[in-house]
This record gives sequence, structure tokens and C-alpha cells, in this order.
Amino acid sequence: MTLAAIFSSPTCVEVIEAIQDHLPALYFAFGRGRTELLAEELGREWDFLTPGEKRSVRWMIQEAEENNPGLFGPRRQNLRRLLLQGIGYHHAGLSPLLKDLVERLYESRLIYVLFCTETFAVGVNFPAASTVFDACRKWDGQEFRPLLNREFFQMAGRAGRRGYDPVGRVFVRIDERFPEQTGFYREGEVEPVRGRLTISPNTVLSLLHWKTDAEIRRLLEKNLSVYQSNKESRQLRQEVHKLEEKAAELARCFCPDRGQPCCELYRVKLRKELNQLKKSKHRNRADSKLRRQEIQILLQKGRKKCRYKVCLDAAKKARRLEERIHLLHKRLKQLEKHSRDYVREFENVWGLLEKLGYVQGRELLPRGKFALYVHVQEILVTELVFSGIILESPPAEAAAILAGVDYQPGRDEQVIPPPFSLERVEELRRFLLQSGVPEYFCVWSPLPAALAAAWYEGASFEQLLGMTNLQEGDVFSILRREIDLLRQIERAAGEERALALLARELRRRLDRDEVAVVGV
Amino acid sequence: MVQKKETGARRKRRPRRCRSKIVLPAVPLKLDRFQEEAIAALLDGYTVLVAAPTGTGKTLIAEKLLEHILAAGKGAVYTSPIKALSNQKYRDFGRLFGPERVGLITGDLSINERAPLLVMTTEIFRNWCFANPGELEHTSHVIFDEMHYLDDPDRGTAWEESIIFAPPHMKILGLSATVPNIQEISSWMAEVRGEVVKVIEERCRAVPLEISWIAPGGDVLDEEEAREEIAERQEIRRWRRHRWNDMMVAGREELDY
Repeated sequence: MTLAAIFSSPTCVEVIEAIQDHLPALYFAFGRGRTELLAEELGREWDFLTPGEKRSVRWMIQEAEENNPGLFGPRRQNLRRLLLQGIGYHHAGLSPLLKDLVERLYESRLIYVLFCTETFAVGVNFPAASTVFDACRKWDGQEFRPLLNREFFQMAGRAGRRGYDPVGRVFVRIDERFPEQTGFYREGEVEPVRGRLTISPNTVLSLLHWKTDAEIRRLLEKNLSVYQSNKESRQLRQEVHKLEEKAAELARCFCPDRGQPCCELYRVKLRKELNQLKKSKHRNRADSKLRRQEIQILLQKGRKKCRYKVCLDAAKKARRLEERIHLLHKRLKQLEKHSRDYVREFENVWGLLEKLGYVQGRELLPRGKFALYVHVQEILVTELVFSGIILESPPAEAAAILAGVDYQPGRDEQVIPPPFSLERVEELRRFLLQSGVPEYFCVWSPLPAALAAAWYEGASFEQLLGMTNLQEGDVFSILRREIDLLRQIERAAGEERALALLARELRRRLDRDEVAVVGV
Repeated sequence: MVQKKETGARRKRRPRRCRSKIVLPAVPLKLDRFQEEAIAALLDGYTVLVAAPTGTGKTLIAEKLLEHILAAGKGAVYTSPIKALSNQKYRDFGRLFGPERVGLITGDLSINERAPLLVMTTEIFRNWCFANPGELEHTSHVIFDEMHYLDDPDRGTAWEESIIFAPPHMKILGLSATVPNIQEISSWMAEVRGEVVKVIEERCRAVPLEISWIAPGGDVLDEEEAREEIAERQEIRRWRRHRWNDMMVAGREELDY
């Protein structure tokens, strides 16, 4: 092994060298920056396209740019250069138009190595000759954790084009710095699917408004998670039953003298105790001495003549059974508690909604009727409307406020601050939190505010990108999510003309140019 | 100088190329056994769960079903876990069945919502099941693509509420990757919906997978070799760490003098 090999990870240049007979490849990396970095690295060394193919790529790029001038912008010039070498990257930070171009180039077999993130493997039918795993760990929003078997095969399974490749090749990179993180996966060990139902304010309101008691019970008592724990409970109870029968059978080995000083079973126990007492650091205490005497007297009495070996064995087995039964009971108690959780959760949220004036018993009050049509951060959005903040703010500010609903900024995300104060929203949130609304029911961030306000006032997409270090795909999805929310608010407003009009007007002004959905 | 190296006409590496042209068969002419079975069960009016690995042709089952539904003048809903996939399916189905017969409804967008075949996100379907089940009166089937996303902490709720509250006259076609407890999911669905649920499973991949590992330096290894390589790497790291510690200690001693 050369020194260079010891001190370097396989670079993607080396990886592609090794697998060059199995292209095209989907190269999965975890992190957008990583896909770009790798593409750049590969692009310095490799060029996959023949002059003819380059012409085709150039032609497709030109066509796309004619329809959408500024498609690559200043930030994605590297992608254009890479595409002309048969290399691409694809992640949620790209604008949908650019993602669409990359996908079409890939489908036209003009991309030989595509660096992509996990989303590329969901449902979309893009098979390749091989798939490569840059790493076997991913950030799941809370922590770095190893890939599940299910996740691995969702991605790995893109390898192998039906009718063409005899096998689909999957390559896992061994990272020199973290060799222990290398994954080994078995399709036979794919994780079972578990129920994940959670009870949101909208779920409670929808159930109260539209469903009967029986239907509510059906959801709370028969959802997948409860079904699974009930099933496990049944199995555990069966096992407990079987073990108890076995224990009863064992008990038949013992004679009526069990527990008497003449029983060997008892004497073993006493001897053990005696030993411990002798070794104990408290052996000189009065009570210890007393007990030792007591035991010695008991042991001096004669032992009953019997084949005690049977009893000893049975006792040992019985003890093991008891331990197991105890464990099973513990798990059973856990499961029982879990089954009741949904009913309790439902009642908690119901109670909260009652306290906040959304419902009275099963009857929906105006706030409740409004929140019924809101599907994201229901309580926060409703309060933003009912407090008057949305209607009283200038429209650009209303747009700014709504952009932050449910937004959880990443670590290094920056946007220039807006030229107005968002203190009223912060105040409202503080008030809600103090009123007992849990944090996850009022998620809001001031971060996207300036972007939405500027876009509302007619800024160009290019200008928005100049205000932030967010990627174009993020800016796009912030505005699309707001458009979604505005639709919900418009429906929820119903007869409230002023609010409905405002929501529609905001939506109309936001849903334009680059942000208007394309590539559908 | 560096500038020149960067921009200069340095020759880049080109891959070996096999000369043979890639020709993919357009559509497999003969359906696989599990596809036949699934379609037959659906046409018999059952709710069906299909679990098969990626690339085995689950979509084809959905397409055949949709063909029948549209021919019978009925309606269907197709749901996908993510919006990007909805858009893609909308395009695919438009190409297959004619754009006038396909609509798309996601939270922020709705196109041709009176069409008999509606592509939507699971969230929207869930909302319909609660708020306007009347709209689904003439819709005979709902297709849940990538149904193992039931397990997703963010998306799972919408799936469960949809499965539990989809109007009883609607039959479900669930498409899932292979998961070990597909039977359990089907018995749950059968219980909660009060209907028979057929499970069609295909474990065999259309194209088998072969997993290899790539070591630093670019060697392609099989599993056993990979495990050896990893053990060796760990050993090297341990050794380097010791060396480093030794050096630190030595350094400190020197400083003490």
C-alpha cells in the first residue's frame, strides 16, 4: 500500500475510474454542497461526452435558455460547464427549471455521472447502470445517523436498467477518515413499517366537525400504531400464559417441605446468605452476628433424605421463567400506556382548542371554523388573522409575515433584515407560548420576511438572490409554500371579504415570473 | 501561472466506451405473474396492496387499472408522497391518457380539477376525505404510490387518515417497496376499512443488485475484502492516534525542560 493510498479517501475521480464500465451512475451524496463539490472535482479531471453529444447538450441548453433567459444565473455557470462534460448535480437548492433541464439531459443519456441527493430516488423513475454511495450516514433533521436498510435500497435499487443491464451495480465508498461508518446492508433486513400518526389541531377540528363519535374512535383506537401495539400485546400475553403454565408444571417437582430447614433448596439459600454475611464489611455489626448464628442453628438441623437435585434444577428454571415473565409484563404495561396515548393526545389538543376559544364542546366557534381550512401551523395562522395583524399590516408586510410560517431556518441561512418591524408577531408568539400552546404549534421565523416583501413589491428573482445566501430552490419553495398557505387562508376566510381579497391579491402578486409553476 | 493551468487546454480523461448502442425495449410485451395477479384482483373489485422492489413495474399495474377505470367512464385519484413526483405523474398520465382526462391538484396549484383522473398529494386527498367526500362519489379507486411512506414522521399522518377515512365505496391500490410486514399492514387495512385486502408480493428484482465497496485508491472490493479493509484502516487510525499522542507527550516533556 502506498503512502498516498493510506492518507487519502477514494476521491470521486478514483471512484469513477474504477466503475467507468458501468456508467451512467447516480452518485448519492448527503448534502447539496457535497454534490456540487464532487461534481466540480470530477469535472476537473473527466470529460465524458463526444463532440456529437456536446452538440446535443449545447442545443438543449440553448433551447431551455431561450424559453427562460437567465436560467443558469451567475451562480450556476459551473453547472452549465459541467453539463457539457456529461456531469450534473441535482438537489432541492436548484430552481425547478434547472432541475427539469438536468432530468431531461439525464433521460436523454447525456449525463454520465449525476451527483444527487436522496429525493432523486423517491418514486421518480430514473434507473442507471450503477449507483454510488458517497457515505452511509445522513442528517435526518435532528442528528447524523446511519442509513436504514429501507433507505439504502430505495436508492441502491435505481441501479440496473431493465432489459439492458444483467445486474445493477451498487458501490459503497469506504471513507478513509471514517472507515467504521461504512455500511453493510441486507435486503432481507429491511425495517418493518410502523404507524406514525400524530394529532394536529386540524385533525381534532376535522374530526369534531365532520366525523361521528364512532369514526373518531376508529381513528384513535384503530390506527396502525395502536393496531401494532395491540397485536404485540396479544402475542406477549400468549407468551406469558405459556410461561406461567410451564412454571406451574415446574412447581409440581417440589414437596410440601419446601422452605423448611430440612429442604436442601432452602439450605442452599441459607448457605449463600451465610457466605455473604461473612464477607460483608458489616460482618461485625450485632444484627449480622445474630443472623449468622440463626442460620448456623438452622443448618445444624438434619437434611431430609431426598433427591434434591431435581428441586434445585426446577428452582433454577423457575427463576429464569419469572424473570422473563417480569420483563414481558413490563413491556405489556408500556404498550397499554401507548395505546391510551392517542386518546389522551386528542383530549389534550381538544382541551387546548377549547381554552383558546376554537371550540365549545363539539361545536366549532369562529376561530375553529377558520382553522378547519388551515393545514399548517393552524393555531398560529388563525391567531395572526384574528389578532388583526394580517389585515392591519401593509400588504407587503403581511406577505413577509406569512412567509415565515412553519419556516425552520438552517444554521448558516441569512437574509438581509426587512425595513419594518416584526415585533407584533414575536409578541403574539410569546403570548401563545405563555397560554400553553406548545412550541411546535407556533413555528415561525422572521428569516424569509424581506424576501417575500420584496417579491410582493415586484423585485426580480435575481434581486432576491442578492439579498440572501439561500439557494434559488429555497427561495422558490418559500414563496410556493406561501402561495399554498394563501389559498388555504382564502378558503378559510369564507364570507370575510376583506381577508379573502387580501389573500387573493397577495397570491396573485407572488405567483408570477420564475415563481409561477413551470415544468408541469 | 495557476490561472493558466486552470483555464488552459489541459486534456481531460475520457472513459472507455463500449461501442454497442443502448436499446431499451419500449414496453415489456408480456406482463409478469405478479402484475397479472394484481390486475386481476383489482378488476375483481378488491383493494390490493402490491409490494415489489423498485424497477419491477409497479407503475404498469396502476396504468392498466387507470385504463380500465377511464374506459368505464369512472374516476380515479392518484396520490404521491412528494409534490415533484405529482408533477411528473401528471405529465406522464397526460401523455398516456390525453391531457384533457388528467388533472393536477397540489396545495399551491390546480389544473383541470374536473378531470376524471386526478393526480394529487396525499395531503389533498386526506382533506377531501374529511371535507368533501361528495366530490369522490364517482371516483372508484385511489392509488397510493410509495405506500411505505406511512412510516415517515412528517407524512405518515396524512396517509393513515386517508386510508381510514377514504369513502367506503372506494377501492385502494397501494404500491409499496418490499417491507417485511406488508401482511400486517394489509390486515390492519382490512380491519379498519372492513373489507378484504389482497396482497401481491414480488421479492425478485427485475435486475438483481450486486453491492461492492470502493477502497481508498480505487480498488473494488467484495464484502469480505471490504470488512478486512475497514479493519485495517481502523488499525492505521489507531496507530496514528497513538503516534500523535506519543508526539504530544514528547513535546510536552521537551517543553518542561
